[in-house]
Amino acid sequence: MARFVTVTKADSIQPGQMLKVEIDNFPVAVANVGGTFYAFDDTCSHEDCSLAEGDLVKTAVVCPCHFAEFDVRNGAVLAPPATVPIKVYPVRVQGNDLQVEF
Amino acid sequence: MSTIAIVGASLTGSSAAATLREEGFDGRVLLIGSEPQPPYDRPPLSKNYLRGAVPFEKTLLRPPDFYRERSIEMRLGTTVTRVDPDKRALELAGGERLEFDQLLIATGGRNRRFPIPGLDRPGVYDLRTVADADRIREAMGGGGRAVVVGMGFIGAEVAASLRQSGLEVVAVEPFKTPLYRALGEEIGRVVEGLHRDHGVEMILNDAVTAFEGAGRVERVVTRNGRRIECSLAVFGLGIEPATELVAGTAVRVDNGIVVDDQCRTSVPGIFAAGDVANHYHPVCGRQMRVEHWQNGVKQGAAAARSMLGRAQSYDEVHWFWSDQFDANIQYAGFHAAWDSIVVRGSLPERKFLAFYLAGGRVESVVAINQGRDLRRTLPIIKARVAVDPQRLADPAVDLRTLAPAS
Repeated sequence: MARFVTVTKADSIQPGQMLKVEIDNFPVAVANVGGTFYAFDDTCSHEDCSLAEGDLVKTAVVCPCHFAEFDVRNGAVLAPPATVPIKVYPVRVQGNDLQVEF
Repeated sequence: MSTIAIVGASLTGSSAAATLREEGFDGRVLLIGSEPQPPYDRPPLSKNYLRGAVPFEKTLLRPPDFYRERSIEMRLGTTVTRVDPDKRALELAGGERLEFDQLLIATGGRNRRFPIPGLDRPGVYDLRTVADADRIREAMGGGGRAVVVGMGFIGAEVAASLRQSGLEVVAVEPFKTPLYRALGEEIGRVVEGLHRDHGVEMILNDAVTAFEGAGRVERVVTRNGRRIECSLAVFGLGIEPATELVAGTAVRVDNGIVVDDQCRTSVPGIFAAGDVANHYHPVCGRQMRVEHWQNGVKQGAAAARSMLGRAQSYDEVHWFWSDQFDANIQYAGFHAAWDSIVVRGSLPERKFLAFYLAGGRVESVVAINQGRDLRRTLPIIKARVAVDPQRLADPAVDLRTLAPAS
């Protein structure tokens, strides 16, 4: 059953930055877009690359391997070569705890 | 009703067709391809598709329903033999004629073949289409030793895939290193090391002079007298643009179909894009023809907009990737003579960027496993301004701060 899991301290991810975390051994990326946090699958839906190692451009995450782009708010594909959306997860901040519903 | 015909149903043609509909074109769109399959992605053919790691369906560029839902008429398995610019018609193999109002030529290229004895022998393959990949896969199933002829990007990817599939691999390359012409000796040596570390035997400064065997290929003979027993051979010797359909017409051809920065050929109403297009690039002020995936997508879309009278100057910084073993290699920029190479990161660890500079400007860049920083280099290349090499080399400097604010 989905529950909120604390993944890191909220102040450890600066605006414009991303962090890869693991929840139940599953890689999840957390992004800070101007103070709002988003969580999504860290593994690109195109090939096996870590999105957190890519670039965050406003609300788009750019995969470092082949430059596929996704909207971090809803997982939609913004640029090929990816054709399949990524999954996104609800996020909340409790005190300084950043929590992802997983 | 106005008809736009697109010859070539691969990455570029498919991108153009999709863009025409996105832009609201409500006339007839004809997408004509010589292969029987709907548009698919070619990069996997030398990599995970060749290794059997993804099924063909995963390589389709768009879902099968996409084209029907948008009334894009597909004519697959159909070869266009000639364009008649005066009558605005295409002649198909078999004699049928199709009329158009505007035409996009996105025919790509075909593999270059050299007159090497035995090149046509069974067991000697090249790679362009999924049918080619399937033939190689079948031959790979027998295991044994494979010879890869030519260590350009396709050859290097095929060598990696064959090795990863458990075959012995011997690569024969006429230059000093793999990828020598693209990357130079210093970086070529890094790629050589990558392949050697994964068990590829590399024969450099040598060339294949014959593929021998009683029927099927049994050995490859080189200029320096090497005789390499093998169960299959794959050659990757580059492509030539597929321009014959406009031969003898007013459409100007010179290393591909010559177009301006809006994909327009010398004949009004006829456009070209992708591997076949020798295009004027406004950022570096010269004609160029590239064979990159990104250019196929973006120039196909640019051509579609140009056909609808919504052209913008096509000024993308060219970019491509090549995955080999655990190395994600990326290259961007405008290949030209360089006077120095600046490295940021570690060559021995194969985690670096190498900037190719001419007159103080970054003309191009190659990266291994540094895709984020490579992407951050694109504005620097586009800006065409001198950059401090020490700051380029310093990993502590954010590359985004080196391009002039746009």
